[in-house]
Formats: sequence, C-alpha cells, structure tokens
Amino acid sequence: MKKLVALALAVMMMLSAVAVMAEVDYANLKEFKIDPAQIPQEKKDTTLYLGVSIRGLENPYIATIKVGMEMFGKYLDSIGQKHEMQVLDSQGDNDREVDNMRQFAAKAGGNAIAYSDPNENSIAYSLAEAMAESGAYLGTAWNKPDDVGPADLTPNWVMHTSPDNVLNGYTIAVELFKGMGGKGNILVLQGMLGNSAAINRYAGLQKALAEYPDIKVLEDDTANWQTSEALTLVETWLSKHADVGGIWCANDSMGTGALQALDAKGLKGKVGVVGVDANTDFVEAIRDGFATATMSSNGYLQGGYTLAVCYAVWTGLLDVAKFPPEYREFATPALLVNKDNAAEYLSAVPEFDFSTPFFMKAD
Amino acid sequence: MDHRVDRSAVTIADEFAEKIRQSNRKDRIIRTAPLIVLAVLIVFFSLTAGRGFASASNLQAILNQLAIPLIVAFGLTFVILIGSIDLSINGTVGMAGSVFACLVLNSEYPGLNMGLWGALLAILASVVAGFLVGIIYVKLRIPSFMVSFAFLYICRGIGMLSYQGHPPTIRDPLFLSLAKASFLGIPFITWVAIILFGVCYFIQEYTAFGRHIYAVGTNESIPRSVGVNVGRVKVMVFTLGGLLFGIAGVVGAIRLGQGQVGIGEGLMFPAQAAVVVGGTSLAGGKGGVLNTVVGVLIMTVLSNGLVLLSVNPYIRTGIEGVIILVAVALTIQRSRQAISK
Repeated sequence: MKKLVALALAVMMMLSAVAVMAEVDYANLKEFKIDPAQIPQEKKDTTLYLGVSIRGLENPYIATIKVGMEMFGKYLDSIGQKHEMQVLDSQGDNDREVDNMRQFAAKAGGNAIAYSDPNENSIAYSLAEAMAESGAYLGTAWNKPDDVGPADLTPNWVMHTSPDNVLNGYTIAVELFKGMGGKGNILVLQGMLGNSAAINRYAGLQKALAEYPDIKVLEDDTANWQTSEALTLVETWLSKHADVGGIWCANDSMGTGALQALDAKGLKGKVGVVGVDANTDFVEAIRDGFATATMSSNGYLQGGYTLAVCYAVWTGLLDVAKFPPEYREFATPALLVNKDNAAEYLSAVPEFDFSTPFFMKAD
Repeated sequence: MDHRVDRSAVTIADEFAEKIRQSNRKDRIIRTAPLIVLAVLIVFFSLTAGRGFASASNLQAILNQLAIPLIVAFGLTFVILIGSIDLSINGTVGMAGSVFACLVLNSEYPGLNMGLWGALLAILASVVAGFLVGIIYVKLRIPSFMVSFAFLYICRGIGMLSYQGHPPTIRDPLFLSLAKASFLGIPFITWVAIILFGVCYFIQEYTAFGRHIYAVGTNESIPRSVGVNVGRVKVMVFTLGGLLFGIAGVVGAIRLGQGQVGIGEGLMFPAQAAVVVGGTSLAGGKGGVLNTVVGVLIMTVLSNGLVLLSVNPYIRTGIEGVIILVAVALTIQRSRQAISK
C-alpha cells in the first residue's frame, strides 16, 4: 500500500512538473518569464560559468558586451544562482577563439553558457560544436554563414542574433542626407571588405542612395574599421575635393578619423558625419554638433540577454527543440542616436529586466 | 706561342676589369633605382591624378602621412642593418600611443594630467619593451623575429588594458594644437620625423655605435675579434628601435587626437617594405636611414596616389602589392647570406 501511495505521489509530482513545463507558450516566447521558484535548488547551487567570447576589448562597443554580462551576473545574484564570469579574448584569431571556447566549456564540466561574436563567419559552427562537446550552451551574434545555423546543432547552439545591418546603414544614410538638405556630395568609408557587417551596411547605403538621386558619391573606399586609416583617406580626399557635404562611415571608429581630418581643414561641424556603434567619443561629437548620427547596437542587451536565454535553457525552463525557427535566428533592436537624444544617451545607464529574456528580439 | 700567351693574359685582365665594371654598374643601378622608382611614381601620378596630386593641399597631406611611417622605419632600419627583424612594431607603437593618451589630460581619466611627463613615460614604456626584446634575443639566443613577435602581443595587451575598451580622447590643449601646428609650411609631426632623421643619420655616420652596427650586420665575427661587444650593440639597436616606435606612438596619438592600439595597426609590413625598397639589405650591413627616407617616400606616394586615382578598393591593395614587388625586385641587393638572423 505504502509503495502504491509513493508511486502515486511520484506520478503526481511528475505530472505537475510536466504541467508546469507545459505552461511555456513556445509560439509566443516573447512573453516567457523566468520564474526563479521553478529552478531546482540543485541547479542554483551548481557554479554556472558565464562567458563572452570577443575579439579583445579594443573598442567601446565590445566593452559594452562584457558589461552586459556583468549586469546579467547581478541578476543571477539576485535569484541566488552561483556563477563565475569570464571574458574569452580571441585577439582576432579564429583558432584561438575556438580553443578558448572548448577549454571554457570543458573546465565548467558543461555547466557553461556563452555569448560569442565569431571572429569570422566560417567558425560559428565550430564554436557551437566546441561548447556542445561538454554539453554547454551558446548564443552567437553578428557573423555566421548563411547556410549554417543553430538548427544544425540543437540544443547546444541555442540561437543566432544580429542587429539588422542593412537597416543600420540605411538609417544613418537617410539621417546624413536629410541633414544635407537632400542634395550634395558624399565620401564613403566602408568597413573591412568581405566582412558581412560591412557588406550589409553598405547595401543599406545603396538603398538610401537610390531614394536620394541628388546625392552623389565622390569617393568610396575601405578604411578597414580603423580610425587612423580613415584619417589618412579623408585627408587625401579633402585635398582633391572642395565640395564635400557629408561622410558616411560604416562604423564610429572611422567616423572619429574622418572628424579629425575635417578638423585639420577647419571643416569640423560643416560637413555631416555618420557612423554605427555609438562610441562615446562619437556620441559626444553628435551632442556637440560635429557629427550627425550613429546607431547603437546595444552591446549590453546583446551580451546580457543572450546569456539570459541560454540560462533559461540550462536550467531546463526552456527546451530549445521546441523553439519556433523565428526564435532561433532573429534581429536585435538598434537605436538611432542623433542630436535629439545624444545627451540623454550619454547620461543614461541602461537598465534591463533579464527575467524576460526574449525582450532582446526586435519587433 | 708568345703571342698566344700574351693574348690570353690580356683576355683574363680584360675579363677581370669588365667584371669589376659590371659589378660597379650594378651597384650604381641598385643605388639609384629607388630614386628612379620614386621619380616615375611622382611623374605618373602628376599626369594621371590631375591637379589633385601636385596641389599644395595634397602635399600637406603627404607630409602629414609621412611622419609616422618615417619614424617607425628609422627604428627598423637599424634592426635590419644588424641582420635582425622586429615584428613588435604594431604593438609597441599602439601601446605608447594608448598609454600617452591615458596619462595626459583626457576624456577617460580626467584625474591624470601629466603633460609632457605623460609623453616621456609612454616613450619610456616602449624603450623598455625594445630593451627587453634585445636582451632576450641576445641572452636567451631566441631569434629576434620570435621574441619581437611575442612582444607584439604583450604590448598590444598592455595598450588595451590601459584604456579598457574606451579610447581616451586627448583634451590637453598643447597636444591638441600640435596636431594642427606647422612651421615653414611643414606640419609639426613631420618636423619631429625630420629631426629624428638628423639624429639617426648622425648616429649612423659619425659614431662608433653606427660603425659597429654595420660591422655586426656584415659579419659578426669580425667586430667580435677586435673586441666589440656584439651583444651590447644588438641590445642598443633594439632599445633605439623601441625609442623611435614609442615616439611614433605618441605622434600617432597626437595626430589622431585619441589613444588606441589601432594607431600601430598596419605599420609593420609597410615599414619593412619601405626599408627594403629603399635599398637596405635584409641580410644586414648595407643601406641606411637615407635609403629609408626614399623607401618611405615611395610607399607613401604610392598609397596616396592610388587613393587619388580612386582605384577600386577591391584591387587597390593588390596593385600596391605588385608595385612593391617590382620596386623590391629592382632595388634589392641579392646576396647568398641568410636573411633574418
């Protein structure tokens, strides 16, 4: 009899557990909320390793991803989850990034979740595989080949996200053209050729150019995302052209170089400059009227929320296999920063509620 | 019989004289080739790039763009003269530029305002790096390219650490004004390069250290046999390199108005090409800083001209490579000695 009661109780407990799990509405994951009470104490007492795999902390945008992880770490503290944080620095080396990832997951015995910005498209799958070997979970951002994706490595490659770069390139171009009164000549500084972010932002520029037929491109070249290369290019171009109305830059670091070249010619503030990334110095230049606009990809959100989704998976609250495809690959929201909101952007510290992980999905 | 012997003797003497003449001619060609390449480039771009290339404004741009490559290439010239190589340049230059911007009045660390001392400390950091490369290379007998390659990463790391992802914008009015200052129509930063050229040329031509550099590069055993401390010469060369790379970093940060490791990116290989195109032998012992000036002029004029011609970016780099290869093929002093000791 006792045995039967025990069995019945066990069955009931299992059923109730299943019922709780079934509450997740996978068609509408945006509404999903992490309920700390449902996370088994055993999981909370296990040390979970959080990682962000990046190229190095050489630019402000990348640094915000690390801060995003730290913000999520605070959230984990608040719900009593034991954890450790680690920055995996690839120094722009593909092999090193994959090795770092493998060692990180192995050291954690699979109790690891990570955000990765793959150094190049081609290594996205290898990174996910390196995590999967130990049973850890990964969310990638920005770079991956078109024909490979999270669906190829369920459940460990949880998802892939990217700000919409075509839209970024388009939005800043339109801001620039509007500032020029819809007509005039521009210089174009592309990112590293062949890089998908560079290609897509450039496609966005082309789209805007098609809508503004009175805007003429005088020069178009790559400065490889670098400030000093941008300075040299714009310096040379300005000695050739006297009638430049605007400079479209695929990132803010190059925009900083363009501003420096304009400054040397006494043209700073007279020629519009746009970029992407919302680097502090560039946003300050927008606030001070020297630059026109930039896009914030919101590294805090990318880093923090990618880990939040992976956390929900690691705890068992979510089952990756049940995710609809639009929750495995999606765009993250970007924010236009122009003279209207630059000052506010600089002073405000973003605050996020990580209990709704799919807040990071655009639209 | 006598006649025949006579004739063959004359032939040998003739052949010998002819060989010497040939060798002299070859030397002359090699010595003047870099200048010819430079002249051809200038004429070509003046004709094809319209008034843009020869304009006063572009001359100013070229002078600005020359400064940092010149300073870096002077340092590298001495290293190559002793038959070694320094791959740490991108790191040391980036480190010095980053540290400098952190130590003067800037946006990220407003509390630090060390002025000129900041510049000196940043350069000192690079001098120490150069000294360490030299001493490890000499004492531990690790090839210089290996040691300096390691220091590329070490210094880049220190540079990144100094500003933690937020590149400091320089706010010190003195350094900000230097970016735009000029004297006799030549930008301040180019004056720095010109003065350093004078110093390097003096060291090379008029000091015992300069003569030792050539001796070590030609054949180490000869200076050693007459009591020259070869190891000390090598360490001094790498330290001098560190000094020049450090100055280049500070100048780079002044030019950019900001400190970041990106200041050093992409400097190393163009500098190597400039030194070699100028006619300094990778095997060591031949060439000098004057050659390097011509080499850097070639490289700078080339990239400036191609940009003015609006060459498609997808093929610009390739064209640059082909022209460098042609220039090197024309100017290099081929020898049987192993390169890069």
